[in-house]
Amino acid sequence: MRRRAALTAGALAAALALTGCSESAADSGSKTAQLSVSSPYMPQPVSADMAAGFLTITNKGGAGDELTSVSSDVAGQVTMHSTTGGAMAEESSFRIPAHGRLEFRSGGNHLMFEQLKRAPKQGQTVSVKLTFAKSGPLTVAMPVKPATYDPSTGH
Amino acid sequence: MRKKTFAAAALLAAATLTLSACGSGNDDDNAPIAVVSGGTESNRPATVLDQPFDKPAVVLTDTHGEKYDLRKETTGHPTLVYFGYTHCPDICPATMSNIAVAKKSLPKAEQDALKVVFVTTDPDRDTPAELGKWLKGIDPAFIGLTGDFAKVQAAARSLGIAVEPTKKDKNGKLVSMHGTQVVAFSPKTDAGYVLYGENASADDYTRDLPKLVKGANP
Repeated sequence: MRRRAALTAGALAAALALTGCSESAADSGSKTAQLSVSSPYMPQPVSADMAAGFLTITNKGGAGDELTSVSSDVAGQVTMHSTTGGAMAEESSFRIPAHGRLEFRSGGNHLMFEQLKRAPKQGQTVSVKLTFAKSGPLTVAMPVKPATYDPSTGH
Repeated sequence: MRKKTFAAAALLAAATLTLSACGSGNDDDNAPIAVVSGGTESNRPATVLDQPFDKPAVVLTDTHGEKYDLRKETTGHPTLVYFGYTHCPDICPATMSNIAVAKKSLPKAEQDALKVVFVTTDPDRDTPAELGKWLKGIDPAFIGLTGDFAKVQAAARSLGIAVEPTKKDKNGKLVSMHGTQVVAFSPKTDAGYVLYGENASADDYTRDLPKLVKGANP
């Protein structure tokens, strides 16, 4: 009995993996984007000049969307950047594929908070509003973490 | 019984592989691959070089506005060199902060011996004063160097690090470029013998610094 349970679990995992492949299984979800935000954080910045922010946007829906702008209560301006080999480039939008996700993470894409109204300190939370091409806006409470925060270990 | 369990495990492993194989492209280096291969060694952010780098023979200006001869000032000292800029929201402050935190766990004498050198790739904006102000927010003992960009670029290039001058993007904003590695120089040979990628965490540096300050392999 236990054996069967184990096998079923294996088969289930395989099935899940299959539906995880976006294109082939596009009919399994809705025809609109279903966006949610996870793991937002801001490393405490060195100065009040600028700060970075990271988060992941997951799309469980059957249609793609685009992140078109970002704003925050602590910054005069928030811009979106991609990074390639040490050079960052400002982007006007980022695509969020159907059944996929858009990741902003250290060393890759990042949000850049400029014209800070105050220097965010560890333990505080900043409010970040994400605006999309199709879906309604999402507001995220972004915690300020230590400058050395590593999301893979959580400290 | 054991056989069946194994089959289920194999199936799970296959499922994991499938998952990692059909990502949208920007998450290829996520955990599942490491889980399947069962090893963490390949994920270590430190690379010990077979062919160490010579320390760049470069004279720049420090945060006090004084001439700083990198070789002369750091001979016999464990030295970490990084190329970055202060108008950098992500990797530059993260890298320097990670090293600053790791340094605090060294004995005092070793903290004093360690030279952490931040060379700006954006000398126009990073004047000695600006650089000093920024580094003070991270670790006041860190050395900040600025000067002619061509000199900075040549020094970086001699360490296999490519940096380009600050330029204006399409919106007229200034965009600079940072190196993607920290180079650790041995106090014994003064050669750059270990490279750290930008994924190196404070924990990684905390674990490795006690060895680096002795010129040992991490």
